[in-house]
Amino acid sequence: MAELPFNGLRVLDFTHVLAGPYSTRILGDLGADVVKIMSEARHGPDGGTSSPYHAMWNRSKRVLQLDMTQPDARLICADLCNEADIVIDNFSPGVLDRWGIGYQVTAIENPSVIYIQMSGMGDSGPWSSYVSFAPTVHALAGLTYLTGVPGREDIGIGFSYNDHQSGLHGTVALLAALIERRKSGLGQRIELSQFEVGTTFNAPALLDFFANESITGPSGNELPFDQAAPHNCYPCLGTDRWIAIAIMSDDQWTRLIEKMGTPDWATGPSLAHVTGRLKNQTFIDQRISEWTQSRIAEDLMTLLQSNGVPAGVVQTGEDLVDNDPQLASSNFIFEYANEHPTLGKISGDRLPLHFEGTLIDKYSRPEIFGESNRQILKDWLDMTDDDINSNIQSGLIR
Amino acid sequence: MTGNQKQPVDPPLAGVRVLDLADERGIYGSKLLADLGASTIRLESSHDDGLRKRGPLNKNGESLWYSYYASNRVVIEIDTESDHGITQLKKLVSKADIIIDTGIVNSITSTEFNLNDLNSKVVHVDVSSFGQNGPWKDFLAPDLIAGALGGSVAATGDINTTPIKLFGDQSFLVSGTYAAIAALTGLYDSYETGLGGRIDIPVHETIASTLEHVLMFALYPGFFPWADGKVLPRRGSLHWGNAYEVVPAIGGSIMVTPTPNVEKQIAWLVEEQVEEDLLDERYTALEHRQEFVKRIMTVLRKWVATKDAESFFHEAQSRHYPFGLVMKPNEVANNPHLKERNWWKEYPTENSVAKGPGDPYKFSRSVLNKPAKQITFTSLSENILNTIGWV
Repeated sequence: MAELPFNGLRVLDFTHVLAGPYSTRILGDLGADVVKIMSEARHGPDGGTSSPYHAMWNRSKRVLQLDMTQPDARLICADLCNEADIVIDNFSPGVLDRWGIGYQVTAIENPSVIYIQMSGMGDSGPWSSYVSFAPTVHALAGLTYLTGVPGREDIGIGFSYNDHQSGLHGTVALLAALIERRKSGLGQRIELSQFEVGTTFNAPALLDFFANESITGPSGNELPFDQAAPHNCYPCLGTDRWIAIAIMSDDQWTRLIEKMGTPDWATGPSLAHVTGRLKNQTFIDQRISEWTQSRIAEDLMTLLQSNGVPAGVVQTGEDLVDNDPQLASSNFIFEYANEHPTLGKISGDRLPLHFEGTLIDKYSRPEIFGESNRQILKDWLDMTDDDINSNIQSGLIR
Repeated sequence: MTGNQKQPVDPPLAGVRVLDLADERGIYGSKLLADLGASTIRLESSHDDGLRKRGPLNKNGESLWYSYYASNRVVIEIDTESDHGITQLKKLVSKADIIIDTGIVNSITSTEFNLNDLNSKVVHVDVSSFGQNGPWKDFLAPDLIAGALGGSVAATGDINTTPIKLFGDQSFLVSGTYAAIAALTGLYDSYETGLGGRIDIPVHETIASTLEHVLMFALYPGFFPWADGKVLPRRGSLHWGNAYEVVPAIGGSIMVTPTPNVEKQIAWLVEEQVEEDLLDERYTALEHRQEFVKRIMTVLRKWVATKDAESFFHEAQSRHYPFGLVMKPNEVANNPHLKERNWWKEYPTENSVAKGPGDPYKFSRSVLNKPAKQITFTSLSENILNTIGWV
């Protein structure tokens, strides 16, 4: 692979917030020409192009600022759709159709175009008009209930996991359609339901319910379906510092207690097998906590991993960015070559795919409103400067 | 209807050949490709592959986990530590388009086993816990450890709990999905260039890439005054932006938020005469924005506590508020929306049929097949290759 794999691929991006932008970020990182349609007046909940949130998910794209409330802007969009390989949105169903640029219309002129709509609930069904953000989907899909501790329903995943996963699954679907298009020459429309994406992640609990009528509950750091103990996070020296230890076999248990100095409480036959340890988890967790709390998490991890014991520091974002030697060794956090016009010098995280022979290490920084308007219209629609000036005068673009 | 939609066609990846050599860290990637129609052969060292024992089990003692994550596979038992096994593996590699691997290929020491010599077009996706280099490359990282080091565990839980892992193998569902993306990207490129190649995927990096605000708080210190330096301490369901939270209602819990249209939310509170001081003009000032967000969340919490959870959720959604009812697995399983969309799928096991999640996407032309029963062969033969179309 000498060049980026998606060089020459044109993606028209109507997405906002995180799920869709994460998908198009990946396509852009891989070489696609992603044009993101944005309106300064209605930029959505991600705060506009000068917000860190926008900057995190919208690198490797160019921004075209259009006022979609104006019919003529929609005509420009229709022309862009006709030039696109991929059109992506995460609106509720029907928005692009109402703008006259839905798949059915575009496919007449551009039969090889692939559309994907990443709506909350999908096109059909009694909840199809329901609206959602990731925390909504977490709740409805069971992710909030299952990630937590017994007796509580208000914990759940502490970040918008399902947005990332919807973006990733949308990308998988798009790439599958691109592969299919090579054979057929035809595009198609993909309907992705973010609710269904989220629900797949509880597959073990749902399979268990359908097969056994068993209702899985939250279990903290314990594994509800597999035998592993101890398996928890333990306090370490410092403020809110923790180490996770996951003993997946009896041999690892022996290795753990060896590094703990083979304390008397741990050496009895009742704890030698996982069955006995599962019965005594609270006791074991207390003893391990007493051992870890006066120790430095990083030192413990090195000590245990060197003896074949799965253990890891519970790392914060600051750890990942400033202290993680593994991420540092792959230059995972990088600084953009060019300053952002309003945010100044900014950094990002690399695409976590390492292609043999092709180092993906150049990322164009996130753009601000209107930054590439003129060039996009020239590149995609062969507009002249006079055409563009006319559209600027009429207020369609800046 | 456009011409594109008249004739349903095969699944999008029909004709693509995938060799699945993956453990938990990559098997979800193979599943995504297999369910999208790729002809997928899974190699196992014996019938006692550890993944075949993973819970939950059905009443026959069969792994429901395996039936779901190893869907649509032909399984061939090969001992990759024997010369005979290497010969068989070489044959499969020579015919594959994609290999989803978690270290098997790297572990083969035979000098005669060179992927590029065997098949220069094959895309080799190798998922490892930390990558091929670096100080942690040999660390052991089951899901809890992967999530702890990757950053997802520190962000989950609250001040009264330990940090908490996400339910299931979420760390590996992220790396698995990235494996599918890598495989299809590599395949697309190999069609263009005639060359495959290796793509490394460190689980660690995939998790760190999918933490929403976590890296943002560390990369933009000072932007968010409610952070503790570069970190937002874990705080249950309260979203980093302070405007989404799970709150108790009567008979359940609901995720509530005044976004994306705060004015509309206040109008509803006014309609119900519970707006308290939210109309105070001082809240319109930008400098009072965070104070206002906290205030409206307090008002919402108090108001929602008086409501029946389920009926209130539906009323809110009928008004287009993105509220979410906290649902248990049995409630998700009986969800009327998923039922009407005919979403659930049946996954045949050796002696039974499991029911589980369907595909999260639909294609207007390509039809995704129903999961086929897994077939296991104890050795590779030309007959088998003919049967499954790998000729």
